[in-house]
Formats: sequence, structure tokens, C-alpha cells
Amino acid sequence: MVEYIPLLMFLVVCLALMLGYPVAFSLAGTALAFALVGVFSGHFDMAFLNALPNRLYGTMTNTTLIAVPLFVLMGVMLEKSRIAENLLHMMAALFGGLRGGLGLSIVLVGMLLAASTGIVGATVVTMGLISLPTMLKRGYSPALATGTICATGTLGQIIPPSIALVLLGDILSTAYFQAQLNMGIFTPKTVSIGDLFVGAIVPGLLLVALYCIYILIYARLKPDAAPPNAADQAPVSLRLIATSLLPPTLLILAVLGSILGGIATPTEAAGVGALGATLLALANRQLSLAKLREVLNSTTEVTAMVFMILIGAAIFSLVFRGFGGEELVTGLFTNMPGGVFTATLVVMAVIFFLGFILDFIEITFVVVPIVAPALFVLGVDPVWLGIMIALNLQTSFLTPPFGFALFYLRGVAPKEVATSDIYRGVAPFIVIQLALMALLALWPTLVTWLPGKVF
Amino acid sequence: MITKIATAIDRFTEFTGQAVAWLSLVMMLVVCAVVFMRYFLESGSLALQELSSYLHATVFMLGAAFALKRGSHVRVDIFYRRWTARTQAIVNVVGGLVFLLPVCGLLLVLSWGYVGDSWAIRETSSEPGGLKAVYLLKTLMLIMPVLLSLQGISQILKSLTVILNHDSTTPVEHSEQML
Repeated sequence: MVEYIPLLMFLVVCLALMLGYPVAFSLAGTALAFALVGVFSGHFDMAFLNALPNRLYGTMTNTTLIAVPLFVLMGVMLEKSRIAENLLHMMAALFGGLRGGLGLSIVLVGMLLAASTGIVGATVVTMGLISLPTMLKRGYSPALATGTICATGTLGQIIPPSIALVLLGDILSTAYFQAQLNMGIFTPKTVSIGDLFVGAIVPGLLLVALYCIYILIYARLKPDAAPPNAADQAPVSLRLIATSLLPPTLLILAVLGSILGGIATPTEAAGVGALGATLLALANRQLSLAKLREVLNSTTEVTAMVFMILIGAAIFSLVFRGFGGEELVTGLFTNMPGGVFTATLVVMAVIFFLGFILDFIEITFVVVPIVAPALFVLGVDPVWLGIMIALNLQTSFLTPPFGFALFYLRGVAPKEVATSDIYRGVAPFIVIQLALMALLALWPTLVTWLPGKVF
Repeated sequence: MITKIATAIDRFTEFTGQAVAWLSLVMMLVVCAVVFMRYFLESGSLALQELSSYLHATVFMLGAAFALKRGSHVRVDIFYRRWTARTQAIVNVVGGLVFLLPVCGLLLVLSWGYVGDSWAIRETSSEPGGLKAVYLLKTLMLIMPVLLSLQGISQILKSLTVILNHDSTTPVEHSEQML
């Protein structure tokens, strides 16, 4: 019975989280309560928690994680300086004359926006505020409009350089290293954030292409749902392209390119990217002192939030281990009928459902360190696993009734748009997501091929 | 009286938070300086690299209370957001007392000796050319729980006033923000 305490801990923490107290402290607080009860009943050794200061210091001095606040700064800067907004207007003007063109431009801008911010909430809200009213005014069906915006908003998980992949890469590299040591491999192979970025390129672009194809086909089959707009066909001057489209695109490509080319570490690229975004905002005369303060405050809040969850999750995982949780999970997976396939499927299903209540960060910090080593022992490729987790969560965030993206959009959508419209709108995109995941499961080389070429 | 204490704490947290926020900008410049030196001057400075780490740690350790004050710590709000201000306030009081304050206590107790050892030897960077202030960096591990529990007390007090004046309809200060 005692060996199932870790599972009980997991259940209790899920219930505690439902109360709505901040996740970081709920995680740590529940774990602490379990630890105290365990000490008194003699099932837990407080010594497990003595590793905490060292873990905390390790987090404070982890140079890879400096990329997180820098990417956040870059994203918030691009968002608050309305660079994203200009981009969208410009793209709409470029493609507006096409049937389904506005939808297409939203996917493309969303991709750029996602690449720069990597923050699902921010992207969905920004796109919802800027583009949903326009789409509806131009006669797009509410379902297609909302579905496109939600799906595009979640691209931030998968399109590099995404914060989600930075965090996931950091956790996976530790887990992978540990799993190999446990298997008796003393010259372990490594996996880096760069590997994950490269691995995400093919699946990410495939996803964007599938979104675009879907919108174009839909617009052709149901012309009323996505009408072209004659007013938009006004010629776009080269100057406008040069000033609004080119700079942010170049910035993102430069950041990504320098990481992929091995010229810069993700942290360095993020620092230069943040500086670039700041200069861009300055050049567009969008950066007053007040706005700079707003950007910096918001960056600090988001960063502190992410790292508090990391610390909370560290406390949780120390206690989880102290109760023998690791052995329990590894045992469950190795004894699972059907081997690697079932084990991976179960993990994916668990993560999918957890995606309804937990955000990317919590799942990355709490669930991934528990399940990933067990899967690595079974021979799962770390880069492939990372991409699958990212895609899986993206799908989860889109799935009614609990998907995060849906809540965000509901929050900013006008009253005329029925919630059922949003649900109907995202359904085809969910099918696309699932299809891509099936594709990657059948042909893992779609993920692993490019990292093998680059590094 | 209660409101006064909470307001004073809030002001203090807002001040420290906004001050610390500027360090993000400095950190960005330091990282860029490291890159510039490496690629254009072909020289590296370990001290500068460590400085970026120090700044980063300072921002998130000292920004935690600020984020709490501004309601930026993510909640699972499936039910929470449908509840009345009073029920939300009860969650915040209970959560503060059962989760936040004990966790801050745990962090303080566990880090005390760890940081003390570092101070005793005035611990410096293990690398030649690194910063000589590792003991100061580690001290953040004590300051963070102190600031966080201080702000936690303010949140509890504010929620208490909401519960006590349950005719008042002012919602608890919170805005959800998620990644």
C-alpha cells in the first residue's frame, strides 16, 4: 500500500490545484504536507529535502535558462510596440484579394508571432483582438475565423524559438543523461535545446502548411465562409513591406539561424533578439519610457512566475522521489503489455488530459521528469519525444471544453460569436493535429532527420 | 489598520519589483556585450557571463513577490474564475496559510545553513576570473522567501477584508496570465 503513496500524492495535488490557488505554491505546499505526514508515520526521510538548496542554486546559475526571460522580453516588446499589429494589417492587404486570403495571412502572421513570443495566451489574445473583428466584418464565418485564430495561437508551442521548447529541452537533457547513467552507459549521448529547435522545424512547417491547405480548400468549397475582399486589393507599396514585414521577419530568422547554425547559444541569440526587438520598437517610435517600464515589469512577472513553478515542481519531485515514485513509474512502464508503443501512448494520453488543467510549464516541470526517464530506458528518442509532447499539448489546448486557447479567445471574442461556433471551428484543426502526430509516430524520421543533418 | 499594513507591504513589493525589473534590461545588455566580445573582439569575460547569471537570478528571486502582488502566478482557474469574490478570497486565505507560508518557511529553514556555510568562507566563484560574490548570490535564497511571505501576508489580509465585508462587491485583485 505504501508504495502507492506517490500516486495518491499526484491525485491530491490535482485536486488541490482545482481550488485555484497559484500552481507553484499549491505544488510545493501539497508536497510539504505529504512530507511532514510521512516523517511522522516513518515513511519519509526528511534528508530527501536537504537536496533542495543545491537544486535551487543550480536553477539560479543555469545559464541555458537565462534564455527564458530574454525570449519573454523579446516577445513582450514585439507585442506591446504594435509591431505584430502592423504585420497583420500588412499581410491582410497582401492576401486579402484571395479567397480565404485573410485566413491565410492570419496563419502566417500567427506563425511569426508564435515564433517570437511562444506564449499561447498572448498570441491568442492579440490575434483575437486585432483580427477577429476584421474577419467577421469581412464576412468570414465565425467558426472558421475563431478556429483559425485558436489554432494559430497555439503554434507558439512548436515553432522555434519557443520558450516551451527551451524549458522542455532543459528538462529532457537532464532526464536523458540520468536515464543513460542508470542504464550503465557512462559516456552518455546528449540532447540540447538546439536539437529540439531543429527537430521542430519540419513538423512545425508541416503543421502551418496543413492549416493553410485546409483554409484554402474550405474557402473553395464554401465561398460564403471566407469571401475575398476587393477593398483589400489596394496595391501594397514596397516601402510598406520593407518597413513592417521585413524587420520582424529578419529578426526572427536571425535569432533562429544563429542558434541552428551553431553560431550562438539559445541564451546569446535570445539576448541579441531582445535587443533587436527593442531597437525595432525604438525605430518605430513606439518605445516611450512608460512603455519600456510596462514591458520590463511584465517580463519580470512572467519570468518570476515560470521560475516559481520550476521551484515548486522541484520540491514536489524531491518528495515524490522520497516516497519511491520513480521506481513506481519505471515499474509500471516496463511491465506494461505492448512495450514502448503502449507506454508512449499512455504517457501521451495522460499529458493530453493533464493539458486540460495544467499549463505547459507545469507539465514540463512536473510530469516530464517523472515519465521521460522511463521512456528513454525503453529506447524512445528524446528529440522525438519532446516534439510529440509539444504537439500533444498544443492539441490539448485546442480541445473543447477545457482547452486554454478556447478560454482566451472566448474572453476577447464579441458576444455574437457563440461558444459552439468556436468549438465547431477548432474541430478540423484538432483533426489536423492528430493526423500530424500519427504521421510523426509512423515516420519518426520526420523529426529526427534534420537534427542528424545539422549537428 | 489591516488595510494600512497591506497597503504598506504592497507599496514595498511594488517598489522592489519595479526596481528589479530594470535589471532585465541590464541583463539583456550584458548578454549582448558577451556576444559582442566573443565574436568581434575574440575575447571572453567570465565575470560578465557570471554577471548575467547573477542578474537573472536576482530578477526571478526578488520578482516572485512582485508577481504575487500583481496576480501573475498562474492559477488553474476552471472553477476559480466562476466563484464569487468571497469564495476566491477564502481560497486565497487558506492557500496562503496552508501552502505559501509553510513553503516559504521550508525554503528558509533548508537554505539557512547552506547560505551560512557560504558566508563563513565568503565563497567565491570556482572559476578563475569569476565573480567573488557567490555568498551574496546565495543570500537571495533567504531574501526570496522573506519577501514572498511578506507579500503573502498582505494578500491574506486583503482577502480577509473581502471576507469580512462580504457586502462589498469589489473583486479580489487578480489577473490571470498564462504561458
